[in-house]
Amino acid sequence: MRFVLYVRNGEGYSELRAELDPAMTVLDALESLRAAAEGGAKPAVARVPHYRHSCHHGSCGTCSAVVNGLESLMCLTRLGELAAARPRKPGAAPEPPEIAADGAVIVRIDPIRRGALVGGVAARPDEALRAIPEWLGYLRPAEAIDKAELEGDPTRQATGEVLSGRAPERVRFEACIECGLCSSSCPVSVPFMGPAALAAMNRGRERGEARAEELLDSAAAPDGAAACERHLACSRVCPQAVYPGKHIQLLKNALASLAAKMKA
Amino acid sequence: MFNPPVPHRHAARVLIVGGGGSGAALAYDLALRGLSVLLVEKGEFTSGTTGRHHGQLHSGARYAVGDRAIARECMQETLILRRIVPQAIEYNGGLFVALSDDEADYGDSFISACLEAGIPARDAATEKARAWEPALNPAARRAVWVPDGSFDAYRVPAAFLAGAAALGAELRAFTELVGIELRGGRAVGAALRGPDGREERLSFDYLVSATGAWAGRVGALAGLDVPITPAPGAMLAVKGRLTDMVISRLAPPGDGDILVPQRGLSIIGSTQRRADSPEGILPTDEEIAYLKGRAAELVPSFADAPFHAAWAAARPLAGRASNDAEGRAISRDFAVLDHADDGVAGMCTLIGGKATALRVMAEKAADEVCARLGIAEPCRTADFVLPSWRALGAFAARKEA
Ligand SMILES: Cc1cc2nc3c(=O)[nH]c(=O)nc-3n(C[C@H](O)[C@H](O)[C@H](O)COP(=O)(O)OP(=O)(O)OC[C@H]3O[C@@H](n4cnc5c(N)ncnc54)[C@H](O)[C@@H]3O)c2cc1C
Ligand code: SF4
Ligand code: FES
Repeated sequence: MRFVLYVRNGEGYSELRAELDPAMTVLDALESLRAAAEGGAKPAVARVPHYRHSCHHGSCGTCSAVVNGLESLMCLTRLGELAAARPRKPGAAPEPPEIAADGAVIVRIDPIRRGALVGGVAARPDEALRAIPEWLGYLRPAEAIDKAELEGDPTRQATGEVLSGRAPERVRFEACIECGLCSSSCPVSVPFMGPAALAAMNRGRERGEARAEELLDSAAAPDGAAACERHLACSRVCPQAVYPGKHIQLLKNALASLAAKMKA
Repeated sequence: MFNPPVPHRHAARVLIVGGGGSGAALAYDLALRGLSVLLVEKGEFTSGTTGRHHGQLHSGARYAVGDRAIARECMQETLILRRIVPQAIEYNGGLFVALSDDEADYGDSFISACLEAGIPARDAATEKARAWEPALNPAARRAVWVPDGSFDAYRVPAAFLAGAAALGAELRAFTELVGIELRGGRAVGAALRGPDGREERLSFDYLVSATGAWAGRVGALAGLDVPITPAPGAMLAVKGRLTDMVISRLAPPGDGDILVPQRGLSIIGSTQRRADSPEGILPTDEEIAYLKGRAAELVPSFADAPFHAAWAAARPLAGRASNDAEGRAISRDFAVLDHADDGVAGMCTLIGGKATALRVMAEKAADEVCARLGIAEPCRTADFVLPSWRALGAFAARKEA
């Protein structure tokens, strides 16, 4: 299938036209185009602008971008999806793809918004994660439904592993991969910690982190939970079903009941 | 708070090329020894092989029968990593599962090899193993518990980079080494192309090429023939956390014999073939179908789990060309290739064998770098809990401001 990729490059876009397998992801397409440009007169990076990537399976959170108007992980977005009807912004109705004069499906890639731009479409979501305290954990108990408890493990002692003060049995990472897509999609224009940081804080409280009260204190700041206007774009674009909007609401509820208690 | 003392600052400037696990751990080790470090990575950090690996934190059990020393080293390193980067590891243990009588018999030599290597492997009754992990193939003949785990391929090395940055190492992503200047048989200068495409020249006292499957290309910049061939390996992830433990085949190491859980995914790997370039490698349809079949032998529900992603990572294979049948995988151990004998002093190539061993590999490489520079500083990377990987982004933001 014929595609034309417009990849943001400074003020303009680099135009990359190619015959590509619709089963390919946007990231694989960029990788193949860059590999094909190798050995040419110009360096390959001059033809294919910078982009971030690492895991290629939706777990590191580096490949976040705005693809045809919608916040997406490039490593999980297939070209075929872009050749079919798809929303052009979070929550909008699907629209047919844009087709160029030569019949190629148009794919427009922009960097995430509110990111620290390195170049091309490479932008780090540092700002979206800034309010997460460094000590905040990333492990949570795994859902051990119908699974027998694991027996004593001689290596646990050697490492002194503890999770929230309990002896851990089964653990897994938090769902949030810190990709910043939620913050990119958020329409709030006043100073705001953003959905990713607030969701991480509420998850810390839910896990029972030792310093949970500090998390609620931080969320009480003017640029914290109160700045959320409940557009819920964050929950729509999140590739990991974190539902940051829900976590912000839970923080608001906790803050409200705290305020009510103070009054009483 | 991460604030380890650095007793002596040394003027010696080391340029590390490659921001994968090897470069990251080396940058941290050398910075902790007080050297001046500049690390350059042509793309995003860990965009080479490191970020794409399978995510198994190796207890060493996989290697015990073949090589006790490597297995012992893995065990020691997993314990150290679980202590210094605890939040980037899903530690739930692992099971080696036999599906035939032959495989069950192999279990005896497997367990004794593990025990000799200091890995506390033990038999688990198959009913017990299935109570731990109900998704296991009911036809399992034997199950052996080992202290394997999963780790985040991006966040572990990113924590090492954050540690290096906190100690003053300079880390530049999207910066490619495009030339090496030689003077009197010694590498003395580098040409770097930065994110804006501009080239810059820079001198150093020592250069380490930690460029994995790219090592041949980087060596060529100094006129060296570094015999490394890229060998892609494929991985397949399905949606659903079918197990919490790492499930491996109780048999000599082969293709598609390890199933690693991670967040809400289950990932089977891997395979091995050869390629001319480490860039733009993709898994083939045959590899994906093969991996799926192998995974379903261990955990039958894998066959019906929805597809999530398939990708490939390039192993650095020792050997000159993609058709060199003599090639040997540097898949377990690592190598520090000094180039003084090839006529280029002041430079070495570090080839990492396993992401699990990044810290100890960096320790040995840093010992070598320090010896060449006449610096006597001990390795202390096992002594401190690393800062969060999140500090890496915060650090970059501070520097730009
Ligand atoms: C399929 C597969 C599965 C694996 N699974 C596991 C596992 O489960 N557990 C485990 O412990 N290990 C695993 N490994 C091994 C592990 O991935 C590697 O040992 C490790 O990632 C090597 O890291 P590295 O830093 O040496 O190489 P790389 O990560 O490849 O780093 C080299 C870097 O150099 C950069 N570079 C190249 N040229 C230049 C230049 N000119 N200028 C600047 N930068 C440059 C590249 O962009 C790259 O980022 C696996 C490997 C493969 C292939
Ligand atoms: S909450 Fe979702 S969208 Fe936001 S950073 Fe985390 S994974 Fe990404
Ligand atoms: S490359 Fe890791 S999330 Fe896409």
